[in-house]
Amino acid sequence: MHSKASLALGLGIMVLSGWAVASTFGWPWKAALFPLVIGIPVFCLAAAEVLWVMFGSTERGDSPDFQLTRDLPRRVMLRRTLTGMAWIVGFFVAIVLLGFPIAVPLFVFLYVKLQGREGWGVSLTLSLAVWGVFYGLLDRLLHLPFPDGVIAAWIGLG
Amino acid sequence: MRHTHALFAVFGLALCAPQYGLAQPSPYAGKTITMVVGYKPGGGYDATARLLARHLPDHIPGKPTVIVQNMPGANSLIAANHVYGAAKPDGLTIGTFNRNLPIAQLTGVAGVKFDMTKFAWIGSASSESTILAIRTDLPYNSFEDMKKSGKEIVIGATGPGANTYDFPLLIKDLLGVKLKIVSGYSSSSDIMLAIERKEADGRAGSYSSILPFIDRKLVRPVIRARATEPGIEKLPVDEDLASTPRAKAIMALRSAPEVIGRPYVMPPGTPDAMVKAMREAFAKAIKDPKLIAEAKKAKMDLEFVPGDEALKVIKEVLTQPKDIVDEFSKYIKFGE
Amino acid sequence: MIDAFLDGLLLVLQWKALAFMLLGVGLGFWVGLLPGLGGATTLALMLPFIYTMQPVEAFAFLLGMHAVVATTGDITSVLFGVPGEATTAATILDGYAMTKKGEAGRALGAALGSSLVGALVGAFALALAIPIVRPLVLTFGSPELFMLAIVGLAFIASLSAQGGRGMLRGFLAGGLGLLFATVGQDPQAGVARFTLDTLYLWQGLELVPVLVGIFAIPEIIDLVVRGTSIAGDLPPGRLNKGAFEGLKDTFRHFGLTIRCSLIGTFIGIMPGLGGAVAQWMAYGHATQSARNAEERKGFGAGDVRGVLGPGAANNSKEGGSLIPTVAFGVPGSTSMAILLGGFVLLGLVPGPDMLTTHLTLTFSMVWTIVVANVITVAASFLFLNRLAKLTTVRGHMLIPVILVLVFVGSFTANNNYGDLVVTLVFGGIGYLMVVAGWPRAPFVLGLVLGKIAENYLYISVARYGAAWLSRPVVLVLLALALVVVVYPFIQSRRRGPGKGAHA
Repeated sequence: MHSKASLALGLGIMVLSGWAVASTFGWPWKAALFPLVIGIPVFCLAAAEVLWVMFGSTERGDSPDFQLTRDLPRRVMLRRTLTGMAWIVGFFVAIVLLGFPIAVPLFVFLYVKLQGREGWGVSLTLSLAVWGVFYGLLDRLLHLPFPDGVIAAWIGLG
Repeated sequence: MRHTHALFAVFGLALCAPQYGLAQPSPYAGKTITMVVGYKPGGGYDATARLLARHLPDHIPGKPTVIVQNMPGANSLIAANHVYGAAKPDGLTIGTFNRNLPIAQLTGVAGVKFDMTKFAWIGSASSESTILAIRTDLPYNSFEDMKKSGKEIVIGATGPGANTYDFPLLIKDLLGVKLKIVSGYSSSSDIMLAIERKEADGRAGSYSSILPFIDRKLVRPVIRARATEPGIEKLPVDEDLASTPRAKAIMALRSAPEVIGRPYVMPPGTPDAMVKAMREAFAKAIKDPKLIAEAKKAKMDLEFVPGDEALKVIKEVLTQPKDIVDEFSKYIKFGE
Repeated sequence: MIDAFLDGLLLVLQWKALAFMLLGVGLGFWVGLLPGLGGATTLALMLPFIYTMQPVEAFAFLLGMHAVVATTGDITSVLFGVPGEATTAATILDGYAMTKKGEAGRALGAALGSSLVGALVGAFALALAIPIVRPLVLTFGSPELFMLAIVGLAFIASLSAQGGRGMLRGFLAGGLGLLFATVGQDPQAGVARFTLDTLYLWQGLELVPVLVGIFAIPEIIDLVVRGTSIAGDLPPGRLNKGAFEGLKDTFRHFGLTIRCSLIGTFIGIMPGLGGAVAQWMAYGHATQSARNAEERKGFGAGDVRGVLGPGAANNSKEGGSLIPTVAFGVPGSTSMAILLGGFVLLGLVPGPDMLTTHLTLTFSMVWTIVVANVITVAASFLFLNRLAKLTTVRGHMLIPVILVLVFVGSFTANNNYGDLVVTLVFGGIGYLMVVAGWPRAPFVLGLVLGKIAENYLYISVARYGAAWLSRPVVLVLLALALVVVVYPFIQSRRRGPGKGAHA
């Protein structure tokens, strides 16, 4: 897994830095200098990493950063990872479609109920608590703006 | 007979009503007005907006709440686009943004989704004059001295699009003064520090922001743009020193928005009655002694320029002939 | 000057000023905790209320609030892996790792203890530096600041894993960060670089959404996968070590804590470097304190020194950044800019006067920072262990709350949906990096220092031609940068006493 991810990142960066360097043609030199000075070495380093992954050893190597849990069966991990990602993206979509004030308690409720498999009481209480803090603090007190969702705009509400 | 009494009663009540607030409720009663500011908290536009937001409710019938929402991004283009296209014209949204946006529209900046002339203009809360100031320990006492010396003077700037950059650029290219513009400072206060270090010799910018340093005798102003404020009236004006009508037109174009130093608008299509009410509220608030006292403390000087005057200036900017605009675009780029 | 020093303390201890400070501390506590509600934003919101206060009270309020934000920002970083502030992201690396091992209490204790030490060092630096502050700041011109940015970038080497492969990935991450830093309109020619034709990217990438995405999202996904509480498989209710252990750690590694406080103070004094840098340089320095390769690997997995370093630096930076604000009227950060507005409001003119005629007021500011931090840390210790128990709550109860924090925090930075997209995108990138074993810290360092390095380089060259390269301070800093880059190699050569070779 790790070498595939490393390969993906390496290739991705090659594409990105390549595109960046290409974009600088036509710019005045002052604007182009830094992107070039950084982009070209980054491209080369990324190429080196890609080659290393493809032809080097597949040992994981150390990382000074945190490491994901690995002691579960592959299948379970994959399923749970995708589920997690789905929930995150889903929340984002809900925010865009419904607006923060609705999406926040809805998400908390759905997650705790469906993913967490908690009872109705717990789910509702937590959702209400979160919504209470959210509304009370951010909306009433600080007047932070939270636009209505896209759907609300379509229906002509609000 | 009874009917006449009743009529008189109603008539009398109607006459007295405004004083007792018994007339139809003001459209603003119990509502919240949102003031959208195109910048982050802490800057000049934001400070002015918050000052107004505190005092406007006293001058709007119905005493609504006025809250400030920051919508920074793209040098307030995002906020302007929002107030133009997304905000509802129900009189409950006010927008304030970069005074140079008309120039952005004029020079065809990509991403401009508004037409400055179509906003419902409330007016401007102050005019902001631009000056160029140089270190006091330099041997030049006036602009003439500076120009005659022929020595290169280093002017620190933040980047194209800011008056720290644009004003000296025009002076350098159109008035032939030997200025070296060193750009890239992260903020105008960093430039002041560079001046203290003698890394830079001077800086351009709004008079109000340079004033504390003039008082401290770190810098002295040598030239100003069209708009004037007490203290700098006697300075030479860049336009007056221009040698060709075209140069003069370009400088005038750059300076034009200064009169609308802090523009305030409402979304296009806002009912005229509400715009009128808002204009009156602004005018009264800016004269409110409480506001003046607070403004003085913050070293802000507010002065109301009504919407129709502001609109006139906007129209003047936007109807410049194409060749002037093209020439102008060579020097001035809308930016941060 | 001694009288001013003591008088300043007496001013702060008047009950009215104290009351306002406590109010500020109370507010600042929550601001620091919630990501996205920057200390700067809230300072700006509070500014109108100080119109009617006396200067000492007003500053007690503002500074009390501000001083505390950096301390409590560490709490969310340690407990949930979500950066409470842009300046507390580095604490996540080892702090959250410790939490996952069940040592949340200890990590919190260490974070708060080092924050206190850092705040004290920063405050006293403000006091002591008063005679030398002007020449100090004036010596550091644009060339020197550029070199400082290079020193900062040199820490990428320390933040990478050891060995050739590790360095390659570290510098790749750093380079990527530098590349992302160029997004936006450039200040030389005004070209809109890499903005993908959107207005949102005109002014570059916002730091908070990127940090929240790159650090919090991978952790959240991992939490979903694990299916347990944050603290892992420990039976609920039993946590390894408590807050006082963390406090003791602060003193066990006192030298490191002090050194990182000094780093933070110094970065704070240099206006224009930005607040987010100090914590990463301190973290990099903390990793250098590992005595051999074996120890070095412990960083990122829960070494308490990785918490002490950034914890100290991001507080001492606050005291440090007061210096240019007070002495020159030049704010050292956004929140300082707002504080400056407060000064003006109260009729004070920041500048040399603050160090002479208003010296007592300046000292009262120093004392406010000191007292506010002492109170915060003392009060927090009362319920730190209870806070740590949150990490034993079932994960799926906390995950939605954390996600709400993440999204709301990222959005309120600019009130723009674009920030949410950025959070998701960098969440994805961060996740890939973690799976691939790439270090994330160098990326942040590159992102934060990129613009600064570029701008100061252009200014230096434009102003001085090539002469700036031979300025004495520049040369010293260049040497320092070289030492910093080379240090990890020296470190990997060293073996622990009697531990044998283990690469």
